[in-house]
Amino acid sequence: MTLYILLALLNGTVIGTSRAINGRLSVEAGPFKASLWNHVVGFLFLSLLLLALGDWRFQAVPAPPLAAYLGGFFGALFVAVNSYVFPRLGAMNAALLVISGQMIAAVLMDYRNQGVAPSPIRCLGVAIVLLGIYLTRVSKSAPKKDKAP
Amino acid sequence: MGRSKDWLLAVAGGALLALMINYNSLLARHTTPMFASWVAHGLGAAAAFVLVGVYATVLRPAGAGAPAVRAKAPLWFYLGGIPGTLTVILAAITVNSSLSLSGTISFMLVGQVIFGIVSDHFGLFRTPQRKIVASDFLVALLVLTGSALIIYGRA
Repeated sequence: MTLYILLALLNGTVIGTSRAINGRLSVEAGPFKASLWNHVVGFLFLSLLLLALGDWRFQAVPAPPLAAYLGGFFGALFVAVNSYVFPRLGAMNAALLVISGQMIAAVLMDYRNQGVAPSPIRCLGVAIVLLGIYLTRVSKSAPKKDKAP
Repeated sequence: MGRSKDWLLAVAGGALLALMINYNSLLARHTTPMFASWVAHGLGAAAAFVLVGVYATVLRPAGAGAPAVRAKAPLWFYLGGIPGTLTVILAAITVNSSLSLSGTISFMLVGQVIFGIVSDHFGLFRTPQRKIVASDFLVALLVLTGSALIIYGRA
């Protein structure tokens, strides 16, 4: 259990690393090119891994619905948006605001998919997240200038 | 001040991320997490290619010079996609452990916030350095507490 907790924590820092690097590239090349590089490099890297494992699943049974292929489109937009805001907001605020949006959207998507109103505990969670976002707005130390010359 | 726009964009980005995860996990349930991620990266590359083109031809004001990549940009600037794919593999491991999906998401969120604090403090990966103040910890606590209630408060 402890090992898996550490792995999941490590995974959070791996995500942060990816976003920091993409954010850095965005400053040089623009957010859309940063997203393009992220996806091309990731695609090539995963191709090598899948070749090594021989674990292709082209003939999935049952066939996935068409909507299952929408993820890449939202991913391309997400990486562009996140790469743009990351250097402007700083790593921590970018992470906290993205988490907030992600969590609130998850509640809304569950509501839409299941047609059941979110539980009182979830509503309380959304309220606390919103309070957190509000506090990021009012208590801010703006990022210092890029220390790179 | 561009702050409000950045702030709104980041929250909207979170919603895009939730949509991405929603559709990707649908594909992963029919295949494997790694294959689903491979497909998503391929289609995402195509989508990003179109976005680059649209931005260059339509959105950019005429006459503005291209933001040319400076020659000194080191190779690792282009490799953010590699840790991005490792995330999917690590998550597949922990989701299938006793942590399950909720535990995996929770600890990944905590890990992201810890990374954010350390990265801002030291300016890791040549990102802007930012002093962490006491209220930052309060904000982190609120967002993580609220997220935990959302993750575990599913009716």
